[in-house]
Amino acid sequence: MTSHVTTSIEPSGIRWQSILPIVAVLALAGLGLVSSDYIVTVLGFAFIYAIFCTGLNFFMGYTGQASFGQSAFAAIGGYGSAILCTDYGWEPLLALLATMVLSGIAAVLVGYPTLRLRGHYLAMATFALGLIVYEITIEWTALTQGYMGYSGIPPLGIAGFALDTLKHQLVALVVLSLIGVGIAARLRQSRFGRALASIAGSESAAQALGVDIARYKLIAFVIAALYASAAGSLFAHFVGFISPEIYGTTMVIQSFAMLYLGGIGTMWGPMIGAIIVSILPEALRGLKEMQDIAYTAVLIFILIFAPRGLAGLSVLFRRAHGRVQEKA
Amino acid sequence: MSVLASAKGNVPLLEARDISASYGHVQALKPTSLHIAEGELVTILGPNGAGKTTLMRALTRLTASKGNVFFRGEEITGLSTPRLARRGIVMVQEGRGLFPQMTVRENLVIGAYLHPAETDTQMASAFELFPRLKERLDQSAGSLSGGEQQMLAIGRALMAKPQLLMLDEPSLGLAPRVASEILGTLRELNRRGIGILLVEQKAPLALKLAQRVYVIALGKIVAELKTDEIKSHHDLARYYLH
Amino acid sequence: MYKRHLLVAAAMTVMALSGEVRAAETFKIGSSVGLTGYAAVIDRAWRDGLAVAADALNEKGGILGKKIEIITEDNKSQPQDAVVGYRKMISSDQVNLFDSGCVSAGNFAAAAFVMQAKLPMYLCSILPQRDNEQEWAFSFLAPPKFEIEARYRYIKEKTSIRKVGILYDPTPYALMMKGLGEQLAKDFGLEVVAQETYKPDDADMTVQLGRINAAGGGAVVKIGQGGSTVTAAKNIKQLGLDKMLLLSSNDDGSIFQQAGQVLDDRFFFVAPPVQLPKQLKPGPAKDAVDAFLKYWKPKYPDRDPANSARAWDSMMVLAKAAEIAKSTDGKALRDATQKVPSYVGAYATFNFSEKQHVGITENPFLIGKFANGELVVAE
Repeated sequence: MTSHVTTSIEPSGIRWQSILPIVAVLALAGLGLVSSDYIVTVLGFAFIYAIFCTGLNFFMGYTGQASFGQSAFAAIGGYGSAILCTDYGWEPLLALLATMVLSGIAAVLVGYPTLRLRGHYLAMATFALGLIVYEITIEWTALTQGYMGYSGIPPLGIAGFALDTLKHQLVALVVLSLIGVGIAARLRQSRFGRALASIAGSESAAQALGVDIARYKLIAFVIAALYASAAGSLFAHFVGFISPEIYGTTMVIQSFAMLYLGGIGTMWGPMIGAIIVSILPEALRGLKEMQDIAYTAVLIFILIFAPRGLAGLSVLFRRAHGRVQEKA
Repeated sequence: MSVLASAKGNVPLLEARDISASYGHVQALKPTSLHIAEGELVTILGPNGAGKTTLMRALTRLTASKGNVFFRGEEITGLSTPRLARRGIVMVQEGRGLFPQMTVRENLVIGAYLHPAETDTQMASAFELFPRLKERLDQSAGSLSGGEQQMLAIGRALMAKPQLLMLDEPSLGLAPRVASEILGTLRELNRRGIGILLVEQKAPLALKLAQRVYVIALGKIVAELKTDEIKSHHDLARYYLH
Repeated sequence: MYKRHLLVAAAMTVMALSGEVRAAETFKIGSSVGLTGYAAVIDRAWRDGLAVAADALNEKGGILGKKIEIITEDNKSQPQDAVVGYRKMISSDQVNLFDSGCVSAGNFAAAAFVMQAKLPMYLCSILPQRDNEQEWAFSFLAPPKFEIEARYRYIKEKTSIRKVGILYDPTPYALMMKGLGEQLAKDFGLEVVAQETYKPDDADMTVQLGRINAAGGGAVVKIGQGGSTVTAAKNIKQLGLDKMLLLSSNDDGSIFQQAGQVLDDRFFFVAPPVQLPKQLKPGPAKDAVDAFLKYWKPKYPDRDPANSARAWDSMMVLAKAAEIAKSTDGKALRDATQKVPSYVGAYATFNFSEKQHVGITENPFLIGKFANGELVVAE
């Protein structure tokens, strides 16, 4: 019964908790800025995935639903941005926002009927959505250029000011992902966030307390789609090239690994997971053929010792910190 | 409706007419009628599997149901669970339906979902009733004892400012002393003017508390009794033994 | 706690990268290959072909006196992994040139920044789409029309069939080839009566084959690689289409063996000379094949040599380019590759020039068949 300890240190504990991850992220980004383009690329992907996972966390973590099809909205964002910027000369930022709107509408249309399904039925329906969009990106070659992919997508820019170097883009991605986490944190602590949490806790209890669960599930699904769409667009601008494989099932599997490793349902878990899952294979690259085995072993090791994800370990940190304070 | 309107002074808090519910082809609740008057505490008694929980779920629309339901004379048939909660019909489910990962405080705050502005005042009145909850405020709901969990479940339901509180077996799994303590608080709530519909298996406790009892068996109400008419528990026993 | 994890992981990464020793006396070739995923079969062959060629060249003193070192990075057949791998090879390994596998999307995704780094890319795949990227890329893949023409010529000259059906998968190379299949048919007096598509992992194609048969197609020109060819052969047999011929794209010899065992003398395939070495007539092509097999056979006696021969040829072209350039600078190597005179290789003859970055300009393909447990030239 450590609750008294926790309560007594809450004010200072909370401040530590919220500032330290930001400092860590900025330190990592700073490290990236003095490193090679290779490191910058790896970190760039990590922050793009952090945005994707932060959104998915709304639906899977906070609300406790399952979606295997979020890659579909990343594809809408990615292809939308690619087509609007390359063929129609749109501003990247404008295209990013426009495709987010499009993804949001798509999420409403798809979510309205499917969110009535529960558990594995919902999972199957969303999985089908991912596969359908994947097929479209392959088959509708007039629009997407199919397997050939879409190349020559301009880098992200702000007000006509293109972020030409990778490092500039990394800065933008770090800022955007922190904004993404900030919005998620604000929403989570709001009445809306509590309603989502009650759905995850018990749907019938939530209903009995007046929570309109169908509506909130839909909103959470749409928010996840907006984040996914933004991540998809950012990917397109960061690499300058997209093809169907990028928004395939690999993306779904990758994001699940990140969510569970980092800590599903926590504020920083998605970002921590995205960073670890992106960096780890690179740290193990020297092992060549053994890379995948070592990578998987480390993942399993982490999940055994931190079953609630790495963000869950912050509880230990908080307790240790509390004990120190008590002694002092 | 017309009957009710004409007797305005005597409109029941809740009235269900021929309400029934099925799971697939099994009719778990046969057409049944009941009512609860303003400020009344009514108990539904019955053995396991008699349809008590189904009746509660049918009334709160957690299970699809047929038949008509009126709340203070107004038809509320077919309204969804959250809409019923908005009207003041709140249920504490069997097994309490707490959010075990969340703290006591978070559970209570969510309870006030419909009345966010009154969170603090409602919480204060919940603590008045269950002082123990205040001590456990930052503990996770899952780590509470059974009795404390039930207190939290009732306290959380009170956050939603119920006019009619429905409770499905709140004494389940509790030590007799704890159970009677909790049921005692229900009497207090009833005194404050909240109508209460209680499902109970433990007849002695229920009879001590309620003004009126419905006995349910094999999916329908088989008797309606005023508690002061019941001379001994043997009168009840025959309903359990057919 | 987890911050420490982060920092440790980051520090590990930095150390792993800065630890790479940059030796001036080696010539570094970067290769992005899909060792797992859909391209695994070809790209493993490509990687091994490069390695065998590097051994052979190093025996003779390497490139401009520098020992060749090949750095392969597995892209798992995914463009995102390819981007990371290419970046690593540019900034950490500081490779002199790329000689990459057949994951076209991966190569395309990297093309823009490889071009900015002024490094040539030799590719197993097709060229990237954009002109400025193509200036730095050289393809060692045969243009798709050659595989079509070889088959159409055979049908026209050796059979009485005049109506054919095309069965294709939706990969870029297959789509290009399918388009050419429609265009070129009339040049050979043939008519394409049906075009049917399939997915590379389809386990059944009886519907598509049934439609081709119903439309009067007497031969199936199959475009696309892998086990699907064997599936098509089995389906033709199951459907009892006992007159129908199946002509497969170029592929691994083991696929031809399996399909040939099902359809016997009704199965044909497109093959470069190196896949049918026994019947080669003496000449420069045979010499090139023998030079390659001398190094290949002892190491891999039972493996199909076709795609590895292509990788070998790319390395031989590189050796010639380096002799011309007399420099290991990226731009010099790019310019020199355009000046390499016609090179007769083990897989095909390569004629690169400033305007010609797809090296194979003459049809290298023969039509083969399966007879007495062996792959032989179909006469």
